[in-house]
Amino acid sequence: MFALTVARRYLFSNPAQTALLIAGVALGVTAFVFITALIKGLAVRLTDDVTASSAHVSLEPMTRVARVLSGPDAKPQAVALVSTFQRRQIRAWRSTEALLRSQPTVSAVSPQISGSAFLVKGEAIAPVAVTALDPLDLDAITPISTQIVRGSSGLGADGILIGVRLAESLGLSAGQPVLFRTDRGIDRLLTVRGVFRTGMQTLDERVAYISIQTARPLFRLPEGVTNIEVKLTDPNDARTFATFLHEATGLRATSWQEKNASLEGGLTAQAQTGTLIQTFSLISVLIGIASALSLSANRRSGEIGIMRAFGVSKTFIATVFVLQGLLIGMIGAGIGCLSGFGLCVWLATLTKPDGSMALPIAPAEGGYVAVFLLTTLGAVLASVIPARSAARLDPLQAIQQ
Amino acid sequence: MTTVLEARGIGMTFRNGDEQTQVLQDVDLTLDPGELAALTGASGSGKSTLLSIVGLLLRPTAGTLTIAGERVEALSDAQRDLFRNQRLGFIFQFHHLLPDFTATENVAFPAAAPTGGISPAMRQRARDLLGRVGLGDRMDFPATRLSGGQKQRVAIARALMNHPDLVLADEPTGSLDRVAAGQVLDLMAEMNREDGTTFLICTHDEQVAARCARRISLKDGQVEAGAGGGLAGPMRRRAGPVPPGRQ
Ligand SMILES: Nc1ncnc2c1ncn2[C@@H]1O[C@H](COP(=O)(O)OP(=O)(O)O)[C@@H](O)[C@H]1O
Ligand SMILES: [Mg+2]
Repeated sequence: MFALTVARRYLFSNPAQTALLIAGVALGVTAFVFITALIKGLAVRLTDDVTASSAHVSLEPMTRVARVLSGPDAKPQAVALVSTFQRRQIRAWRSTEALLRSQPTVSAVSPQISGSAFLVKGEAIAPVAVTALDPLDLDAITPISTQIVRGSSGLGADGILIGVRLAESLGLSAGQPVLFRTDRGIDRLLTVRGVFRTGMQTLDERVAYISIQTARPLFRLPEGVTNIEVKLTDPNDARTFATFLHEATGLRATSWQEKNASLEGGLTAQAQTGTLIQTFSLISVLIGIASALSLSANRRSGEIGIMRAFGVSKTFIATVFVLQGLLIGMIGAGIGCLSGFGLCVWLATLTKPDGSMALPIAPAEGGYVAVFLLTTLGAVLASVIPARSAARLDPLQAIQQ
Repeated sequence: MTTVLEARGIGMTFRNGDEQTQVLQDVDLTLDPGELAALTGASGSGKSTLLSIVGLLLRPTAGTLTIAGERVEALSDAQRDLFRNQRLGFIFQFHHLLPDFTATENVAFPAAAPTGGISPAMRQRARDLLGRVGLGDRMDFPATRLSGGQKQRVAIARALMNHPDLVLADEPTGSLDRVAAGQVLDLMAEMNREDGTTFLICTHDEQVAARCARRISLKDGQVEAGAGGGLAGPMRRRAGPVPPGRQ
């Protein structure tokens, strides 16, 4: 194709200028890749942090709400009150647990009793949120045993695990007894077996773990559980799986996304910011290409005029300029993808003093195919304006200049 | 034998808003095959305008035009492009060579652009032409490394690349010194003689006009009496039948 030969000659005619133009395109594409990989990496890190240490789906009894019963004339007739004579609990938890364990997408199940209690030590008293679970499955949902800083994670029959801030405020440490008083008004002396540090202040201050067998009499729940926590092999399935569970069990099923709505909102906002930056970097790339080609068309108006005079078609002239745009776009995008990938890989090796990644960047998620196609397509579109003006040049005026 | 060019009643009026400039009025012009004709006249007399009309670069506001037996008014823009490419050759005051191409590539360009590339046959033809214009030792030079006279000789070879019926030259020696101008003129005369290619050379230079077998004078937008049209003037030379082997 002769137009391609001409386009190549034009680009090689001023190698320094062409190199600069391609470098500009490559830089924009590098920025695009970096932002894409960073946003994706951030999202992955944030969701990983959440999904690694909390349940993906939580099952509880449906909440009962006092309802107004309407009569036939639409006037309130009566109020159906919530019965407080029944404990809110999952009685048939064993069959639910069996159902859950039979699902291939479920990786862990933890039936729990959750309640409120006070820890009393001398004159000091502190409220705690108690999670009672099977000591053999202690780490099913949250990796508590990896967070123990003093003592051990072995609960036993009378053991309790407390957070490090709670231990400090009550002056407790591993091996010491503490009086446990439930919201049912039942007291029992438990022994602090271990102290954990999650890094989350509210958890380290307010949460305590005990064995579910120990909890049954203390919370007066001889058979049922208050909630069942589930982990899935793929956290992204949580929403659909929660819907399925609700329909299958009649229980209220909450996905981790629902519980962390603010995280979702944050991620969306972050993704939108990323899109904005990506758009601007692409637009600046395209403006660069359009203006460089316009200048070139202007500078070459004499030769374009003579070509038109000896009968070279408008299409040929336009094609020469569109091909220049295409070549610049493809080469620039290719180099930009490579350098963006290199940058991301290098940034991913940088670590903070504690050994964790300095930037949560995901080099594989740079959006390479998308940015390559977008830049190439955009470069072609950006060259249409200079191509048209070159093709429409009046040969007479161009020659006489 | 058909005429190469037959222009009848050509008129050209430029309009710029309310302002109208009549540049050509009722111009008749006939060129037979093998003619070497000069189009003379004072600066501003309309020579370039007439040449552009004959070269299908400008549409006249009146008159009819037949080139190589074909009526060209009805041709679309794209057909006019193709017609210029196949039937006409152009030489301008400024060579306008493509600076990023060699002499050979510049000459072959008019043949290559519509067909998709420079074929070996095109290259050979371009080299032959360059040899004939005395640039046999400059064929692979980039156009930018040639002197002004050499560039204009490349432009002559380029104009002849597609075996045109008619070559239109607008002040071809206008930016050259005497020696280079003489060479360029000699070349055009030689090509005319050897190939029988018809030349219409527009010039305000007496030296150039004197070298041409026929002279057509423009004055006030009209062909001066006795010089143009189908009338035989004193400077007119009827081209004889083209000798065999010359075309
Ligand atoms: N596009 C145009 N618009 C208006 N006037 C024009 C245009 N082109 C040429 N002219 C006028 O036509 C006249 C003849 O111009 P031209 O053909 O270039 O003369 P020459 O080549 O004989 O010097 C000049 O007076 C010029 O100003
Ligand atoms: Mg002129």
